[in-house]
Amino acid sequence: MRAAFSDALVAAARADPRVLLLTGDHGYALFDAFRKACPRQYINCGVAEQNMVGVAAGLAKGGFRPVVYGLAAFVPVRVLEQIKVDVCYERLPVMFIGDGAGFVYSHLGSSHQSTEDIACARSLPALAVLSPADRFELTAAFRLAFALASPAYLRLGKSDRGDVHPGPVSLSVGEMLKVRGGSGKGALIATGSMVRTALEIVDGGLDADVWSVPTIKPIDLRVLGGICRQADWLVVLEEHSVIGGLGACVAEAVTSTRPVPVCRIGVEDRFSEFCGTYEYLLREHRLDAESVKRRINDFLDSVGTFSHDTGHVRSGISR
Amino acid sequence: MTAFDPNRIRRIILDMAYSGATVHIGCAFSIVEVLAVLYRNHLRLDLADYRSPKRDYMVLSKGHGIMAQYACLHELGWLTQADIKNYFKDGTRLKGLADVHVPGVEATAGSLGHGLSVAAGMALAAKLNKTDQACYVLIGDGELNEGPIWEALLFAAHFKLDNLIVIVDKNDFQAMGSTEEVMGLGDVEAKFAAFGFDAVTLDGHHEAALDAGFHAMRVKRNGRPKAIVANTVKGKGVSFMEHNNAWHYTRLSAETYRAAVSELEAHR
Repeated sequence: MRAAFSDALVAAARADPRVLLLTGDHGYALFDAFRKACPRQYINCGVAEQNMVGVAAGLAKGGFRPVVYGLAAFVPVRVLEQIKVDVCYERLPVMFIGDGAGFVYSHLGSSHQSTEDIACARSLPALAVLSPADRFELTAAFRLAFALASPAYLRLGKSDRGDVHPGPVSLSVGEMLKVRGGSGKGALIATGSMVRTALEIVDGGLDADVWSVPTIKPIDLRVLGGICRQADWLVVLEEHSVIGGLGACVAEAVTSTRPVPVCRIGVEDRFSEFCGTYEYLLREHRLDAESVKRRINDFLDSVGTFSHDTGHVRSGISR
Repeated sequence: MTAFDPNRIRRIILDMAYSGATVHIGCAFSIVEVLAVLYRNHLRLDLADYRSPKRDYMVLSKGHGIMAQYACLHELGWLTQADIKNYFKDGTRLKGLADVHVPGVEATAGSLGHGLSVAAGMALAAKLNKTDQACYVLIGDGELNEGPIWEALLFAAHFKLDNLIVIVDKNDFQAMGSTEEVMGLGDVEAKFAAFGFDAVTLDGHHEAALDAGFHAMRVKRNGRPKAIVANTVKGKGVSFMEHNNAWHYTRLSAETYRAAVSELEAHR
């Protein structure tokens, strides 16, 4: 996925000299190809993210197409107000890349982990929020963000979990991508790294459609409404806080379409407590596949207690 | 009639502040001569197109001084008499801080510490586009408390933005008191020089000195960004407002409005 990002960036910059990459002194090996191919379009702004966003706004006003790169904890979260005032208010064509989102920096602690960036970003008017699950979605999301020519935040999380699509995908604004079909009675709606987890769970025997959501904002409410009307239950999975993320997005949509039980699986309202590998932190937050399976089963049991049609509960995962 | 006459600009500020029942009068009065001289003699603008891509930029980073800029934009013909007359009325477009959607306002500012970075980006864009545009940015001395200012100063020097001219409105006050009481600034000119700027300190109400200073800074394309520390008086032009920080927040009464107007008229 990171190679796909580098390729997309180089391709955009080669095709359009207005493209400038701004980094806050991050992305050492990631930008080797870019620096070699387009050295004059590379601007290291130093460890000064607030200024970097203001500079990007000024460059966009001068006709350029800045791509602003940082760790998700800093871009967009640390510089949210600069993004709001300098970029979004004027709808400037600036793309923000937040790398290492979720628990990628598992050993570095909560300062570098980012589980609130979607919540922050999606509350800003004019800012599109994109969260690709694999290299194919990344390529499509990058192209889409660039074509929008308005503010966009591209969230890059754990990047080595493998593909969820068999090949390249096309992506339009707000589109949700169905990556696995079930009977339609239940749906797993996931974004980023958790799409792989959702696939593992249906491969383990759960009858559910699996949807990947690479464009969290805007989101296609028509499609989402259709899912709500068809399904008896929804489970949303994200490597992000359950507050304000994709789960919240879906819950908000559900309230205005058809009430259906929604289980939001993400980071509960807490920081990571311990140091460890990425896989360890997923377990700490009960976001590893085994924990997620248990949580879905608990949810389906509880849905059964008040569902009009308890038959679907029986179709849960065997324990 | 003198173009951008400071006395007339102050009268417009007073009228706007009185009819809109607004604050920040002292903050606008301190920058009147700086803006008047810039708009009169230095900013290369296309009156027919405020978005002309080759224009000079004038970024008001201390966005709360905006009434002084509104008066200048009105004189350019980019704001109407109705804009001025209806200040702060429901559904009007002129806000109490700098807003980029107003013709001639280059950046949204007033949340402090934003305009300088945006201006640095605009100056860099002009460099990359190989134009001879100058980018003027006016910041407050209280605004120097903001961290991004110092990030931007490093950036401007590192990227050799010699087309960036930073003007500091050094009126020695900020919202809650004098700058020395709130957050001591020390030697501002020396700080800019230490950051790699060509820096000079001028009387910010002396039009001839400002004129010469702006010209000297503009023509000097030596790879170094420029700074003019303008020593100013908060509330300049009306005796009971001068050096009185209450006029950061105080609204005009009928009585203070009349008294202020008659002082301006006496000095015409």
